[in-house]
Amino acid sequence: MTEKTIWVVDDDPIYQIIMKKIIHKSNIFSSAYSFTNGKEAIDTLKQIILKDEKIPDIILLDIEMPILDGWGFMDEITILKSRIDVPIQIYISSSSIAIEDKERAKNNTGILGYMCKPVTLDDLIKIASV
Amino acid sequence: MKLTKSSLNHNKWFLLKPKLVGILVFLFFCIIFSLILSQQYHISKKAKNDAMDTNLQAINKSIEQSLKKNYVDALTLALTINDKGVPEHFQSIGKQILASDTNIDAVQLVPNGIIRFTYPLKGNEGATGINILTNKKYRFEALKAIETRKMYFAGPFELNQGGLGILGRLAIYKNNKFWGFSAILIRLNTLLEKPEIEKLDQSKYYFQFSKINPITKKETFFLNTKTKLNPKNAVSSFIPDGDWKLYLFDKKPNELLLTFAIRSFLALILASLIGFLTTSFFKKPAELEILLKKQADKLLKNEIKFKSVFDQAAVGITYVDTNSGQLLEANKKYCDLLGYTEQEIKQKKIQSIVHPDDLQESFLNFEKLKKGIIREYSTERRHITKSNDIIWIKLTISPLWEDNTYPTNHIAIVEDVTERKLAEEAIFNSQQRIESLINTVDGIVWECNAKTLEFTFISKKVEDILGYTSEEWINTPDFWVKHIYHKDKDFTLKYCAEQTAQKLNHDFEYRMIAKDGSIVWLRDIVNVIVENGEAKNLRGIMIDVTKNKEIENDLNNSFNLVSEQNKRLLNFSYIVSHNLRSHTSNISSIVDLIDSSESEEEKEEMIQLLKSVSDSLNETMLNLNEIVNIQTNVGLVTENLNLKQYLDNTLAILSDQIELKGVTVVSSIKNDIEVNYNPAYLESVLYNLISNAIRYSHHERHPTIHIDCFNESKKTVLQISDNGIGIDLNKNGHKIFGMYKKFSTHKDSKGIGLFITKNQIDAMGGSITVESEPNLGTTFKVYIS
Repeated sequence: MTEKTIWVVDDDPIYQIIMKKIIHKSNIFSSAYSFTNGKEAIDTLKQIILKDEKIPDIILLDIEMPILDGWGFMDEITILKSRIDVPIQIYISSSSIAIEDKERAKNNTGILGYMCKPVTLDDLIKIASV
Repeated sequence: MKLTKSSLNHNKWFLLKPKLVGILVFLFFCIIFSLILSQQYHISKKAKNDAMDTNLQAINKSIEQSLKKNYVDALTLALTINDKGVPEHFQSIGKQILASDTNIDAVQLVPNGIIRFTYPLKGNEGATGINILTNKKYRFEALKAIETRKMYFAGPFELNQGGLGILGRLAIYKNNKFWGFSAILIRLNTLLEKPEIEKLDQSKYYFQFSKINPITKKETFFLNTKTKLNPKNAVSSFIPDGDWKLYLFDKKPNELLLTFAIRSFLALILASLIGFLTTSFFKKPAELEILLKKQADKLLKNEIKFKSVFDQAAVGITYVDTNSGQLLEANKKYCDLLGYTEQEIKQKKIQSIVHPDDLQESFLNFEKLKKGIIREYSTERRHITKSNDIIWIKLTISPLWEDNTYPTNHIAIVEDVTERKLAEEAIFNSQQRIESLINTVDGIVWECNAKTLEFTFISKKVEDILGYTSEEWINTPDFWVKHIYHKDKDFTLKYCAEQTAQKLNHDFEYRMIAKDGSIVWLRDIVNVIVENGEAKNLRGIMIDVTKNKEIENDLNNSFNLVSEQNKRLLNFSYIVSHNLRSHTSNISSIVDLIDSSESEEEKEEMIQLLKSVSDSLNETMLNLNEIVNIQTNVGLVTENLNLKQYLDNTLAILSDQIELKGVTVVSSIKNDIEVNYNPAYLESVLYNLISNAIRYSHHERHPTIHIDCFNESKKTVLQISDNGIGIDLNKNGHKIFGMYKKFSTHKDSKGIGLFITKNQIDAMGGSITVESEPNLGTTFKVYIS
């Protein structure tokens, strides 16, 4: 029915399991991928661009991650932007309720929204319908 | 005095007219020399004439002798006449006579005046028969022979036989009856062939022979002379036997004149020389005399000048008897200064007009002056005027006696300096006031040269604040620079120089070392004094701000403490917001999933998941508890711990991992190093840092860990360095010690170790730093205070 792909970038393994369940239940996405930090995600994205494969439609991005955190990922993707012809919906999904994080997300034009954990099925449906 | 002067005048005329004296001396000597010369001339002349006379007399005598001989011959011839009046043996006797007397040329007998007999007849034949008494030529002289009854020599005259001859005739009487003459003929040459004549010096004399012609009465000279002779230059003698005159002429009559002319000339020169010498001899005294006169005039003028200077001087001058202090003379100004008349002042002694308070100093100075210790002195002292006012005078004393002689009088020059003194006093008072004002300022007031930083003034407050005296500060040129606290020196001097160069007043703080060695914080408020567009002086106030600084430091410490705590709180808020919320959100999600689960299997799966969330939540809670414990410092006990022992324990605990990874641990920790620490914290710090080093080793290298301990600025430093994977500090430096910060994907990484370690170190009052390069290694330094 839909062809949308979603990436979940988060170092919390339990959250990854939960998100897999929810994505599966939503039945919106043709495929979902998990990455435990920003670097894994960006490396994969580079591969996709090189191979000219399907670019993810939605990315749920955690902030606190080892190696490359959410902000670092955003910096890297900005560099790649010229080589990406389709828009990617990037959402922050963090357990942080710190205002400075929310402000920072708001000021980054590449980020469409800030979602406080827990992310629910409704939330997914909402962003997928945008 | 007058006498000397007149005698001087008396002597003066010749002293003043050296030329006249010279001329007079010249004339005097001229007269003397001329007298001597004329005397000499006459003597010489007489001597010459005497010599000529002597010669002539000798000649005369010789001729007369020869004539006498002729007379004898004539008598001998006369004896040939016999009684009858007839000569007998005339021929033979004549012959004998001629033979005996070579002078005789011929003899004659002339009876009755008629020449009858002649020998030799030959050559004289012409004369025979001549009656000489009748012959004009012979008569006069023949008669003279008769008259004189003596032999009379006639001639000379030309002989018939040639030449000049003289005929001596003797009248012969026979029986008292004139018989005739006996005559002898002599040649003049023969007569004059006398040694005396021949011996005459031909260069000096001419001899001459003359006769006054008895008939003509004219004098006839018979000898030839080349020149005409002046009888004045001759001596003469007369021979009566023939009325002859003999002359001896001086050949060089002017010889003496020439000699004396030369002598006169020399005398003239000599006289001139003496005159000249006299002139020069008197010239010097004359010049000196003129000079003396000029000097005397000058002296007189000076005396007048000085007298008027003395009287009209704008300063008071007085002349004082040194021993009694009696004022001997004083000029108008001096009298005016003290308000006395000249008569009154001469009654005063110096002691009576000097202010009593200044007498002692005056007395001391005079003692020195009298003893010759000083030659003059100047001072300022007070005098009392007639109207009892006090005046200040500037005094200069000059003694009028020579060195090492008995003191006599002195001159005192005084100047009224009352006004100046009063002004000075006023200035002094105002200075005193300003100084005491400055000294009441609660800060060090100072002034220094802008270029050299040499201080020209520093207020007494410096002693209260820094302990140094103003004198020692001022007397050491770079005192200020030398006593700035060494850590502040560079910045202080640089800042001060920069501000001064820009002519900006400045206000800054630095530390100085006080005399007791303590460090004093000063706030220095500096004004730059600009003169002619250049910073000349610096003036300012140094205020002791040590207490303020201490308070400030305390405040800063408190602030830092609060900031630190704030940071921890913030961290804690992260912990709450991130770590706890991540668990709760997971729980929430899982609960939702359980609700919407479609099978028991799925439900069971979710419950298992919920269990693991519960475990990690529990772990997080334990960590938080630990952190809260550290931060509240509850039951924190410190003791002296042997570092080496604790390190060994830690390495023993980690021995499995060390073996597994093949890590080499190099430790330089000595046995005797002790640190004051909480035992659990030390264990934890060592464990965390070493286990980190092991965990993040580089898989391409042989892992090596160096553990060292050393002192760095009074703190013990524990250093743990590895050659592991390292951390990119540019990216992660700010959060390396944060909670749940992980920098690797390592499976054991929990992101809590360094956070706890830092909190423990902070709680012990120390600090931790990190140096790292990705792929090279990491070094942690733990500072133990």
